[in-house]
Amino acid sequence: GRDSLVFLVDASKEIVIGLIGCFSFCLMMTSSHRDLMALVFYGTEQSKDPSKSFKHVYVYHDLDEPGAKRVQEVDALRGGKGAQLAAETMGSGETSLGDALWCCANLYSDIKLRLSHKRLMIFTCRDKPHEGDSVKDRQARTKSGDLKETGVIIDLMHLMKPDGFDVAPFFRDIISPPEDESELGLQLEPCDKLEDLQKRVRAKEQKKRAQARLHLCLGEGINVAVGIYATAVTARKPAPIRLYRETNEPVRSKTRTFHTQTGSLLLPSEIKKSQVYGKKQIVMEKDEVDAIKKFEDPGMFLIGFKPMERLKRHHHIRPAAFIYPEEDEVKGSACLFSALLTKCHERNVFALCRCVSRRNYPPRFVALVPQKEEVDEGKVQISPSGFHVIYLPYADDMRTLDPPQCPTASQRQVDKMKEIVSKLRFKYRSDAFENPVIQQQYRNLEALALDMMAPEDTEDLIMPKVDQMDQRLGPLVQEFKDLVYPADYNPEGKPAAKRKTADTGGGAEKKPKVEVPEDELRAHVQNGTLGKLTVPVLKEACKKFGVHTTGTKKQELIDALVDQLGQ
Amino acid sequence: MAGAKSASVLCMDVGFSMSNSAPGEEPPFELAKKVIQKFVQRQVFAETKDELALVLFGTDSTKNSLDQDGQYQNITVHRNLMIPDFELLEEIEHQVHPESHQADWLDALVVCMDLLQTETKGKKCDRLNISLLTDLNTRASSEQIDVIIENLKQAGITLQFFLPFPVEDDEESGRDADRGSPGHPGMGKGLSEEQKSSVDIVKHIMLNLDEENGLDEIYSFRNAIEQLCMFKRIERRPMAWPCQLTIGSCLPIRIVGYKAVTEEKLKKSWTTVDAQSNKKDDVKRETVYCLDDDNETEVEKDDTIQGFRYGSDIVPFSKVDQEQMKYKHDGKCFAVLGFAKQHTVRRHQFMGTQVIKVFSGKDDEHAGVALSALIRALDELNMVAIVRYAYDRRSNPQVGAAFPCIKKDHECLIYVQLPFMEDLRQFTFPSLENNKKFTPSDTQLSAVDSLIDSMMLLEEDDNGDQKDMFKVHHIPNPAFQRHFQCLHHRAVSPSTPLPPMEPWLKAALECPDVIAERCQGPLEEVKRKFPLTEVEKKKKLKTSAQIFGKDSGEPDAKMAKGDEEEDYNLADIAEGSVTSVGSVDPARDFRTLIKKKSLPFGEVCQQLTRRLEQLLSNKNTAYFMKSITCIQAFREQSVKLGDANLYNGYLQSLKTSIPNRGLEVFWDLLVQDAVTLISKDEVKGSTVSKTDADQFLVTEEKKKEAAAPPAEDTGDVDDLLDMM
Repeated sequence: GRDSLVFLVDASKEIVIGLIGCFSFCLMMTSSHRDLMALVFYGTEQSKDPSKSFKHVYVYHDLDEPGAKRVQEVDALRGGKGAQLAAETMGSGETSLGDALWCCANLYSDIKLRLSHKRLMIFTCRDKPHEGDSVKDRQARTKSGDLKETGVIIDLMHLMKPDGFDVAPFFRDIISPPEDESELGLQLEPCDKLEDLQKRVRAKEQKKRAQARLHLCLGEGINVAVGIYATAVTARKPAPIRLYRETNEPVRSKTRTFHTQTGSLLLPSEIKKSQVYGKKQIVMEKDEVDAIKKFEDPGMFLIGFKPMERLKRHHHIRPAAFIYPEEDEVKGSACLFSALLTKCHERNVFALCRCVSRRNYPPRFVALVPQKEEVDEGKVQISPSGFHVIYLPYADDMRTLDPPQCPTASQRQVDKMKEIVSKLRFKYRSDAFENPVIQQQYRNLEALALDMMAPEDTEDLIMPKVDQMDQRLGPLVQEFKDLVYPADYNPEGKPAAKRKTADTGGGAEKKPKVEVPEDELRAHVQNGTLGKLTVPVLKEACKKFGVHTTGTKKQELIDALVDQLGQ
Repeated sequence: MAGAKSASVLCMDVGFSMSNSAPGEEPPFELAKKVIQKFVQRQVFAETKDELALVLFGTDSTKNSLDQDGQYQNITVHRNLMIPDFELLEEIEHQVHPESHQADWLDALVVCMDLLQTETKGKKCDRLNISLLTDLNTRASSEQIDVIIENLKQAGITLQFFLPFPVEDDEESGRDADRGSPGHPGMGKGLSEEQKSSVDIVKHIMLNLDEENGLDEIYSFRNAIEQLCMFKRIERRPMAWPCQLTIGSCLPIRIVGYKAVTEEKLKKSWTTVDAQSNKKDDVKRETVYCLDDDNETEVEKDDTIQGFRYGSDIVPFSKVDQEQMKYKHDGKCFAVLGFAKQHTVRRHQFMGTQVIKVFSGKDDEHAGVALSALIRALDELNMVAIVRYAYDRRSNPQVGAAFPCIKKDHECLIYVQLPFMEDLRQFTFPSLENNKKFTPSDTQLSAVDSLIDSMMLLEEDDNGDQKDMFKVHHIPNPAFQRHFQCLHHRAVSPSTPLPPMEPWLKAALECPDVIAERCQGPLEEVKRKFPLTEVEKKKKLKTSAQIFGKDSGEPDAKMAKGDEEEDYNLADIAEGSVTSVGSVDPARDFRTLIKKKSLPFGEVCQQLTRRLEQLLSNKNTAYFMKSITCIQAFREQSVKLGDANLYNGYLQSLKTSIPNRGLEVFWDLLVQDAVTLISKDEVKGSTVSKTDADQFLVTEEKKKEAAAPPAEDTGDVDDLLDMM
């Protein structure tokens, strides 16, 4: 199913201007292009809706996939000019939230797609939109009830106004009840800053979806249901789509497997999997290949506990996940989970578990690190309560290094460096750095989609601000260098020989052709020592014997040669 | 020793005494053969470039290059130095048998030394080794022994002995073997005279080669088999990454980075082969592109270009343009952006799939001092360097943290990638602490407390040091072990099913026995204190939409398949002239009629319920869909008009008739879609409270007596056909 999000915005003068930033932000952040979004204003002078039956409701965008055009249209509402435009097209007038909600309900019911997640956010800074008109209030309540019944979650995104915002008399009945009662107070505080509101929108907009639901098994028959969530995932440039050159329409790709000689398509049962070891081909059925990977059914199995300091910083192989109890699956999970969390946190220990996250996945060991809930000044949750899941390396994942023996610095040298370090202190925040690669790609696309002359500039936030740093450090750098580097030492010096090869360039040509006599090659094939030869030599040998290879990997070249000469 | 190449000779005694064994014990010959097999297997699967030769002694025949004048008899070089393969394994399996002669093991050693020296000439080997497997049951002529030792030392050859019995460090144990440890299998009735004197020679040689640890290289067969059952861990030569750490523009420090921890993958992947011929050339995979039309018209790959989504739009963006416009940077870099407190960089925010250890540049002590100053400064201030890291020009730059790491024998920075803003997903979860429903009681908490006590994986050893009982980074990746076990099995016995998991591997992944035993009591207590009940799985929640693959708001059921499109238009045109609730789209007709107000509300409702009954009598899931949309329309309009009675009345009577008509499936759909009674909150005139309405859908589930389905009638399809 698809997700959908409706922004229902109070068009009264105070609110509309500042908020537009939020929406273009959300449009950009839309996680999937298949998500649907709508932007509806209420309390407008003008009216516009598909059914033409509501007054003072302006459907700026109906529920649809956001595209380039929409981004432009929302952008048009930004800033002073935007405010003017808004005033002209919509104006502000009488308010009936009931009508607005009804209109939104129609937007939903016009959608012929399956929606998995329906969310509606009301943006306002007026706690009594109808100024005490009880008929209108009641109507709004009824409509919100209808919406909620059809599975729409209604959130209130309210800004603080000078004389306070009281949720209780009206909006409390409009919005969806929070996930649990304790959240109530927290959520109903109004935001006094726009950024906070943006943050709140963003937090709500990201739907949390469990990657998997598992049992955390403490022992025989003690199963706590938990959901695994990915809280940090490496964002990549979106994958390209293939288009037909003539029409720019997307094409689908089909991959098929067929027999080289007969040309007939091969069914899964007609193929097997193979590997070659020690010159011997080993063949397995496809489902055997899968079965090898299976150790046990998915789940987390408690091994024991260790003090936190036993969790080594360098034991890191992939980003962490997060677990939270699933009371809906096993009743009582939340209580036991909470007890475990409290105690692990109190005693500063982590739980070691064997974890099979999916079917046919081999086990990995994980450390469950307790995390207590943290909220910021704006009462927005920074970290939820639950366990972080830290994946641990096996022996195979640890590489043996030979650390070089080096002299250590004297305390004077260390102290000088400490001064440098202190000069360049800053407060690290994990969301402070944007990925310049992705931002650039996005700007490029934006420029192409919106027919802009050139993409907007991206600031590379992970570039060191060298000038500022130099300025802050002042004479410290020279002082430190005088302490550690001798006068004739050039720290930037590279081995001269390397420079040369890099400069002459065109390396491929000047490499002498490398050839191995045939009998020597055959001897290598006999003894299985082809691996000793280098890739260029092997390629040359392939050419010489007319061996056709598709691959360029060493092993592929070797296999091809062995096939040819081995007989 | 990753990446380094070695050459070794396996030298095995196959003489007649090797077949002697005490009753009920495996003869030493069989054990020695197992050791060799396991060893070669490991070598084959590790795919190192290490070479291996096999020399047998005590053979009936003689085949070696020193065979002259009746010297070095009954010693056979079975295989010269080469990379081991399955052929060798098969030869060991089928061609190595106990034979009936005896040979001097020192002679055999000399043959091996000769072989190693002649066959490694001109090759670069950084390790030469001879493994001797024998029961030492031949009288060895010890005159040459000092010459042999001298030669071994000069050639840099190391020695390993594998014997049927353990050899103790103790000087006495060799001589007093009768008293020694008769319990050890393989000792039989104690050592023979020959064995005793041979053990002395072995010790003499080994201690001469390595005074301190020489005796550690003498193994018993059983010991060796245990150690060899594990497949070799994957090793890779660490690649040096030389770079400069920069602080601002004028403070560079030469560094070199090494990947220290990363998830290792198997070196080889599966290839697809034809099931009949087992040849990969017989199978070809091909990807074709086709238009998304009815004919799936294929287009050439060259006729396609690439594009990207921007919202719902697709923007064509060629590879060339993309390359030109993409983010570019200056390449290799390890530049400090600033320094932050260590605690602000949280463990769970580590990104990427590797950890890099950064040392000072090679053979550059000044860089060493400078880096040491940085490492120590960071360590003393509890700070961390936030850096920009780029492997090279082609790879994407990262932001990461460089932590100081000071060990007894070395210092380094540990670099880990940190998240970009785009990577983070700020999920909020309901608070667990402030929720009274989930707050554990004090007794519950103490039950968990004692569970933690009983399951602490740290143990104090005799010196009062904390010992970790379960070190994950010492466990070999079980997936690899299992993979090789199965491959090996398939290679040696191709027609049999795959073997079960090896017991040692299973045990290695389990909780240590001590802990498993100790935690029984506390676990029972936890089980008593925390009731856990699995919520009945309602055979997968299914809404009508999920069954039919469409949203329930969709007014049309899948009845008029084929030309749905046209059907729509027909209905559209017909809207103006709707006079009664028809069967094609009763819900729409119902809405239209109510809007037109040409008929009284009650009348229209009656028409709708009649259609509903008709639809339901078909008891076909395809009709249920339509029925649900009808009921939804009924509800919606009733609420709109503020008249709940007709609707509530109908729904209640429908509910009571469900069991008799065998319509439970339909009811379940209704429940999933949450179509319930209209409550007072919605319509003033309703006699139903909100809770009653909510309660209404919760049927007494016990009433599941499978009522006999009533006689089927085919329903009126005629009406429908008329419309089309």
